[in-house]
Amino acid sequence: MALRAAVLRHIRLPVQTLPAIGTRPQSQRSFLRLFSSHDDHLTKEEVIDRVLDVIKSFPKVDPSKVTPDVHFQKDLGLDSLDNVEIVMALEEEFKLEIPDKEADKIDSCNLAIVYIYNHPMAG
Amino acid sequence: MAVPGAVVPMRIEVLHLYRTLLRVGRQFSDYNIGEYSKRRTMDAFRDNKNLTDTRLLSAAFSDGKAQLEVAKKQAIVYSLYAPKVKSILDF
Repeated sequence: MALRAAVLRHIRLPVQTLPAIGTRPQSQRSFLRLFSSHDDHLTKEEVIDRVLDVIKSFPKVDPSKVTPDVHFQKDLGLDSLDNVEIVMALEEEFKLEIPDKEADKIDSCNLAIVYIYNHPMAG
Repeated sequence: MAVPGAVVPMRIEVLHLYRTLLRVGRQFSDYNIGEYSKRRTMDAFRDNKNLTDTRLLSAAFSDGKAQLEVAKKQAIVYSLYAPKVKSILDF
């Protein structure tokens, strides 16, 4: 009988008062699931980084001159054929098909970033 | 002396043809022929970049359009006989 009590004294957990669940925002947030299919859209930063990487790795471009508002033909000294090639490279990076009418307008880094960021299918 | 069918292309049409040819090059299932297509397109358009003679311009443009038709057909044919295993160069 005493042995049983001694063993139980070691096994039984002491009673603690836990803090109220409502005061622990971290655990509360972990129970909240976002079921929207649109929350995996690219962030602006990610778009900017990847666009700059594509442009910097273009063979005719000097990477040190590439900034987010650089113009392909005026600032980077490329020609219109290179412009087409850059837009094709961006299409491959973001898995997009940009129609001719829209692709004709993309002649600077800024326009590329804005177009891709606003495109629902950019991946 | 007007040559029938000799239309001088506008700048934007040339760029559209360039883009279309590059797209077809991308579609090829065979990596080697796809890369050749793209390389050949880029070389040909660059060589003819500074043409000003209207006859040469329209001849080059018609040639480009003819090559586009050939390339589109070949892309289909290549895909019919594509090997089951992708080339290592595609990764």
